[in-house]
Amino acid sequence: MENSGAPIDQEIQWIKRAQQGDPEAFGFLVPKHQKRVFSLVYHLVRRRDEVEDLAQEIFIKAFRAIRSYNFQSSFATWLSRIATNHCYDYLRHVRASRVSFYWQMGENSQQELEANAESQPEQVLDHEEQTVLKDLVTKLLDRAPENDRKILALKELQDYSVEEIAEILNLKPTTVKVRLHRARKRMLGDLNQWREESKGHAL
Amino acid sequence: MRCDDVRDRLDISWEGQQPVEIRRHLTECAACARFHRDLRMVRAGFHLLQREEAPEPSLGFAERLVRRLGEVSKAPSVADFFELAGRRFVYATLALTLLALLALAVPSTGPVQSLSAADIQVPAQEASLIYSDPMGAGLQESPDLAPVETPTFTNEAK
Repeated sequence: MENSGAPIDQEIQWIKRAQQGDPEAFGFLVPKHQKRVFSLVYHLVRRRDEVEDLAQEIFIKAFRAIRSYNFQSSFATWLSRIATNHCYDYLRHVRASRVSFYWQMGENSQQELEANAESQPEQVLDHEEQTVLKDLVTKLLDRAPENDRKILALKELQDYSVEEIAEILNLKPTTVKVRLHRARKRMLGDLNQWREESKGHAL
Repeated sequence: MRCDDVRDRLDISWEGQQPVEIRRHLTECAACARFHRDLRMVRAGFHLLQREEAPEPSLGFAERLVRRLGEVSKAPSVADFFELAGRRFVYATLALTLLALLALAVPSTGPVQSLSAADIQVPAQEASLIYSDPMGAGLQESPDLAPVETPTFTNEAK
């Protein structure tokens, strides 16, 4: 089933056959879109061992709902929308730990990490620093309101364009820009508040 | 510059170089400098996360999926059940609403008000006038001309 480079016309035929209930035809669509779905699931959920199961559930959900696909947006965008919603349904049931490695560092180490993140390209940070930074951002995303999380993950982790995000979330591009701006600001505000709370606990 | 404006501008130029006036403000305002450091740290964290490779589908993922889809397409899904049940519920509700509207719109006696038995019944006094023979007796003797006996008439005649 290596059809990752299938032309659009061919894809339309497969979609139409899948809409008649043909699982084989839907199966031809999977190799073309599986990489995108796996990447999206991984970046939204961040549990490596859960990705394949979730991806499978997403494709099954998409197959069941394919009659509702009306060719208005691209199939990839429609599938991304299902994947995003499915991941957030999953995340609502699984709450991650709220403790971050960052707060377990001494103040000097924190300052060193911040200085390195500021002055060096990320790839120059040592392994431990990278782990701490990734963990911190993951936890911040986990603490963020769901709408902020969605938009930040799609933009900052998946690197989708504002237009793509607008299609996936059924929003106008200008609304996406405004929400993205607010989400980043809220996340930084939350980091600051979290820092104050951590200091309070340390005292 | 106001701190709020500076923070908005910092976010807008999330990926780019900061203008001179912003950099000057950052040297003078500790809170905004802290915000800027956090911003760069979070951005660096996002970049690191973005570069992480998602796991690859295991061998035969698509084939296994197609087999599952085959099973799924044979078994009616919960969504199908709710769709069917939902559709039936909507139809039933519509039918009931229509019946309720009809019941409200049409009067209980029907569209044309008909005469009731009481309306048809000739009052006893009137009946005695009609059937009293101004010319004398004999009417009652003729079976053709005799009025139909109703309990009212009969009682009155007696």
